[in-house]
Amino acid sequence: MATPVSVLRLPKGPDPNSRGFDPNSPRFVALCRTSISTSAAEADAKELQREQRARSALRERFLRCLLTMTNKKVQFHMHEKVDVEATFGASDIDVLNFQVSDLHTPIGVQKEALIRCQDVISFTFDM
Amino acid sequence: CSWRSMAMRQTPLTCSGHTRPVVDLAFSGITPFGYFLISACKDGKPMLRQGDTGDWIGTFLGHKGAVWGATLNTDATKAATAAADFTAKVWDAVSGDEVLSLAHKHIVKSVNFTQDSNCLLTAGNDKLLRIYDLSQPEAPSQEIAGHSAAIKKALWCNNDKQILSAADDKTIRLWDRSSMQEVKMLTFETSVSSMEYMADGELLVITYGKTIAFYNALSLELIKTVEAPAPINSASLHPEKDFFVAGGEDFKLYKFDYSTKEELESYKGHFGPVHCVRFSPDGELYASGSEDGTLRLWQTAVGKTYGLWKCVLPGKSLFVSVYTCLVRTFHFQPV
Repeated sequence: MATPVSVLRLPKGPDPNSRGFDPNSPRFVALCRTSISTSAAEADAKELQREQRARSALRERFLRCLLTMTNKKVQFHMHEKVDVEATFGASDIDVLNFQVSDLHTPIGVQKEALIRCQDVISFTFDM
Repeated sequence: CSWRSMAMRQTPLTCSGHTRPVVDLAFSGITPFGYFLISACKDGKPMLRQGDTGDWIGTFLGHKGAVWGATLNTDATKAATAAADFTAKVWDAVSGDEVLSLAHKHIVKSVNFTQDSNCLLTAGNDKLLRIYDLSQPEAPSQEIAGHSAAIKKALWCNNDKQILSAADDKTIRLWDRSSMQEVKMLTFETSVSSMEYMADGELLVITYGKTIAFYNALSLELIKTVEAPAPINSASLHPEKDFFVAGGEDFKLYKFDYSTKEELESYKGHFGPVHCVRFSPDGELYASGSEDGTLRLWQTAVGKTYGLWKCVLPGKSLFVSVYTCLVRTFHFQPV
């Protein structure tokens, strides 16, 4: 009778809460210094510093914007000339989906909804 | 460990996560961080996994339709996918970010990088081969017309100087990249289900019906054909060219001796037809993707310690049999 080969464990499955690509993995840390394609690999160190400072400032502003938007009415301008208004709830960690309430659409008001971020071109709200 | 002396039964490793059929898979080359595996799935969410363990690394999010083809560049820093949403996308395979979206006029079925990762070859239902210069993504692609039906697969060959394409017009054609002209054509009685190219040895592995055929990739001369017990959807030749594996409509994986054409083993495991099978770059395992939505990893040398498989000495076999049985029955993962 043949013995089945033993295994240490099963392969790890996807994390339900994130899309993965752990930024703390050795590969990410080694290879992803600037993962954004606009930064030239051979850029001047000073230029890179300036760019990084600008990126940090923009990122911080964006995150503060998301915080300020909470529970406010926001107008989303989306692809295919879609404009909707909703009360902003929260964003997921990868900024892939926005959780909103009272989404006003041309076919009615959706009490709770998720808006896919990649479909959003811009959004505006009164502070 | 004397694994050869014991009769060992293959324990495939199941990689779950996809929710629809897995239609394509590809391995990267061997990198300082090991090798990687990308899977294309009809759920639109291609996944990257560690090649030797099957551990999930990340999911490439962005496609709005079934993903029909997926590939990695040699050092696994870039990925490319072909989808039913009429786009081919290029991704940063380290961060998971979408880098480029290349609009097509129809469903895209196949994507392939050149060895230097600078050019991407795409093909699909618009019957055209397209070459994109990734350093100038805004520039229009070069187009090669000729096929009279949807192209299933297109691959660079002969040091990226030529292109091989397989289409639903029952032909496989060889094209010259610089002249963009057709150089040779093979015609079949039935549609080719898959095509794999091996640079080392310039070999082409083609499947159609129940046949696995091996051709010289430069001359398109037939080397040999092997008949399987069931219709085959995909086959892969071991890097050392001693074995090849095939899978298809009867849900099983078959292992054959390449020189003698003898069927050596067959493995049950998948709950649906096998759509794709590929050997890892080191030849130690092969991965299969199925209609059942899973990927499975299989050992080439059953019983050897590799990845998550562990060779066990004869004295411990009773404990190990019970342990393995528990793992498989209850899917319990020890801490």
